[in-house]
Amino acid sequence: MHPLVRWFHQLGSPPYFDRFAARWAPVAHGLGVLVMAYGLWAALFQVPADYQQGDSFRILYIHVPSAWMSMFVFGLMAFYAAIALIWRIKLCEILAMACAPIGAAFTVITLATGSIWGKPMWGTWWDWDPRLTTELILLFLYFGVIGLYNAIEDRRSAARAAGLLAIVGVALLPVIRYSVVWWNSLHQGQTISLFGKSHMDPSMLPPLFAMIIATKLWFIGSLLMRARADNLRREAGKDWVLRLAGGAPERAR
Amino acid sequence: MSYRDYVIAAYAVFAIVLAWDFIAPRLDVRRQLRTAKLRAARAAARPDINELRRAPSE
Repeated sequence: MHPLVRWFHQLGSPPYFDRFAARWAPVAHGLGVLVMAYGLWAALFQVPADYQQGDSFRILYIHVPSAWMSMFVFGLMAFYAAIALIWRIKLCEILAMACAPIGAAFTVITLATGSIWGKPMWGTWWDWDPRLTTELILLFLYFGVIGLYNAIEDRRSAARAAGLLAIVGVALLPVIRYSVVWWNSLHQGQTISLFGKSHMDPSMLPPLFAMIIATKLWFIGSLLMRARADNLRREAGKDWVLRLAGGAPERAR
Repeated sequence: MSYRDYVIAAYAVFAIVLAWDFIAPRLDVRRQLRTAKLRAARAAARPDINELRRAPSE
């Protein structure tokens, strides 16, 4: 068997995944913090202020990566949920449900920082603008997934029901993405493009790319840690969990 | 015009939410392991019903 395929199969084993997550989550978080430290330093102290928005534009360096993460994490959650529904892979159920609180956290950051940025630029904390409203609906969808997962006692049934909601909710992502194009919006249009031309001075871009990489690394660390916690909850009472906790396995008595 | 307070507030929200995201799963893992340890201790203290022994003679 190809080593990669063997590793993928091994990862489906709860004790193996626990060891994997315990080992790599701190590494991902550590790398994320390092890259984030550079990104934040450059965003706050290195890049020049915008000629129109002044220093308030520095909020962009946390607002934009968080907004991208809020949508990326939802898409990934739906992807894992689809795999879990089709092939009944337990680890994918766990990973899908671990995505939800992280995505919700990034959505909260997006909405809060956008609101704080909006006050000096638009003169209001909030407006029922298409981009803002659809992002708020995304947050409610995350809450729906989290709530549904915790409302059903059987973990596997709960993950399937919540996963279905995640898959249906994916339809919202293009609406958020193109809301500034389809409707007349207070929110500015697309400024940054990964593959096309960005309407942003090149000197302002490096910290943004650093923050985009940093939030991805941070997400990997959080995903592994949250999946580990859920894995332990599901496996509670198994010998390997008791050994890990420092208690003697029941069968060994 | 300086928007320093708005920038500080936005970065504070970012830091607080990420700090919660870092701490919450670690506390959850610790809670799961503690629960497992308590369960093991309870199971160890329970008499083994599979073992049949004579009552001590008076």
